[in-house]
Amino acid sequence: MAIRVILADDHPLTRAGLKAYLDSEKEIQLVGEAEDGERAWHMIRELNPDIVLLDIRMPKLDGVSVARMIREAGLSVGIVMLTSYDAQQYVMASLRSGARGFVLKTAPPDELTRAIKTVSNGGLFLDSEVAGAVGENDLMPDSISVREREVLLLAARGFSSKEVASRLYISERTVQTHLASIYDKLGARNKTESLLLALKYGVVTLEELLE
Amino acid sequence: MKRHLLVVFLLAIIFPVFAAFSVAVTGLYHHEKAMELVARSYAEGLVENIAYRLERETPLGRHFFTGMLSMGQMGIFSWGPSIPGWVAVVNSDGETLFSSPGAESLDFIWDQKISIGEADEVYDREGNKYTIAVYPLSGAEIFVVGAVAWEKLLGPMIRFNHLWVFLALAVVIAVLGALLPLWYWVIVPLKSLVKEISVLEWGAEKPAPDDRRAVSEIRSLRKVLHDLSKTSIERNELRSSYINDIVKVQEEEKSYIAREIHDGPLQSITALIQQIRLFRRDNDSDGNIASEHLNVAEDAARNTVRELRGLCDELSPPWIELGLDHALIELANRLSRYFNIQVSVEVEDGMGLSHEGTLTLFRVFQEAVNNAVRHGRASFVSGSVYQDNDTIRMEINDDGEGFEPQPDFEKLRVEGHRGLANMIERLHLLEGRLEIVSSPGQGACLICILPVKLLKKDS
Repeated sequence: MAIRVILADDHPLTRAGLKAYLDSEKEIQLVGEAEDGERAWHMIRELNPDIVLLDIRMPKLDGVSVARMIREAGLSVGIVMLTSYDAQQYVMASLRSGARGFVLKTAPPDELTRAIKTVSNGGLFLDSEVAGAVGENDLMPDSISVREREVLLLAARGFSSKEVASRLYISERTVQTHLASIYDKLGARNKTESLLLALKYGVVTLEELLE
Repeated sequence: MKRHLLVVFLLAIIFPVFAAFSVAVTGLYHHEKAMELVARSYAEGLVENIAYRLERETPLGRHFFTGMLSMGQMGIFSWGPSIPGWVAVVNSDGETLFSSPGAESLDFIWDQKISIGEADEVYDREGNKYTIAVYPLSGAEIFVVGAVAWEKLLGPMIRFNHLWVFLALAVVIAVLGALLPLWYWVIVPLKSLVKEISVLEWGAEKPAPDDRRAVSEIRSLRKVLHDLSKTSIERNELRSSYINDIVKVQEEEKSYIAREIHDGPLQSITALIQQIRLFRRDNDSDGNIASEHLNVAEDAARNTVRELRGLCDELSPPWIELGLDHALIELANRLSRYFNIQVSVEVEDGMGLSHEGTLTLFRVFQEAVNNAVRHGRASFVSGSVYQDNDTIRMEINDDGEGFEPQPDFEKLRVEGHRGLANMIERLHLLEGRLEIVSSPGQGACLICILPVKLLKKDS
């Protein structure tokens, strides 16, 4: 049974390239193409695909909004953001709005296939170029302590170091120390990156993050 | 020493008045003295003269009293009115032997000790002033007393003297009276104008247009100053809206170019990369020369995509749309990578700012980190955005070398510190301001303060 995919991108050339590639994959069946967000949303309601590849910037309705609508409507459609934006904050925003995959348009074709398969199996896929250059999926980082994990999760939910400190009854300095240790273990340079890497390595789950 | 208007006015008015008044008093005093001398010499001359005549007309050897009687017949005593006063002859017991008309008040006067030989001033029962002189006769047994009534001798001069006092008083009152309007119409309005102007923030405030109390010159002055300050405000507003337009157009232009690059060349080259990859996949011919060329082409294309993306981000980062929180964190992460220093930022929960506000804080943060690294050689910059009552605050701390804050951004601009000047200007456009706490060697703390109305309603 092939994975049914809808492709939403406003750029005809990109769409043509992706279509050519997806068509050549036997396990993937491209069932529809949309040139804007609204069209994509209608197509999703109509065709109920397994996976939708969403560009972030599209006319009428952007990809993040479409993802949010899918989640709010409770549709069981796997969402993969396919974009040329490399900002980590877009990954965070996409994940929060319900996406389970984030792939750059310049990623190698087999990475897109991998993303589609992983997400359709209920997994999470983040482009390595965005979620930290280091780190492969199978690489396990130094084990993160329970306390560090708590700190990371709270920080990920947008709490400041001070708030994290007061919630865990520890000093702000200790929070900073934990964060520095987390960055070090994951090979991250900042909070967002450490979180993305933690997600990628499975140290934390998306559900925990979005709680 | 400061020359206060009031002091000058007081000197100009009070001094001459005081001088005139003292001249008047001195004159009056000497006039009085002169009159006294006149009256005295008159009285002394009178009694001496009469005594001489009495002695001459009473030949030696004749019985004194007989002589006295005949003397009583002397014209001088019966014609009283011919002298401005009276004369009398009294014995050593104080009895009046004979006198001219008008000497009735002698009894009263005699009780007051009168010195002999020297004239003196006395007052009778009615309070009339006399100069009285006594001259002894025949071994001091009888005396000639002569009194000069001031009223009769010096009447007009006395009245003039009295009038003079009233005139001087009237002048003083008039001058003091003139000081009142001077105070209320000139000094007070001038003082209030000066006070208003000295604390006036030019370009933002203006003095009241009119002061009805003031004299017309001060009213005109006030009007001119009011009009001037109005012009200054208008000019400031114009300038501010001009800058606003420039900033807006600049940002719009940047974002337009970024969008065009993103939607045009960036997508086309991405498509190009895809096509190269498809071609390579379908024509699996690793190792030959054509494949090498394709590899180089793909790398070149990928580099171009990266460069164009970087250019877009620099011009107008698309991720600003994700809101203040994401935008600042992404910026901090990127700056941190770019400068290879630690940059962190925390945004208070639920801080949704208008696009303008987000863009402003974004640009200010960008500039602040740039400054901290380039000028202060900072290795650690941390920012935090929070709400404080009716203001939104962004605090940026660094561990750099610090500097001496200069609040006048016009001066900053002139001195070439465009970074700080731009930050302040951008904040001004949103009715915000910048506070700087820094000193050499102590790092810097910038606090951007924006009005709370920039918060989005739904957040």
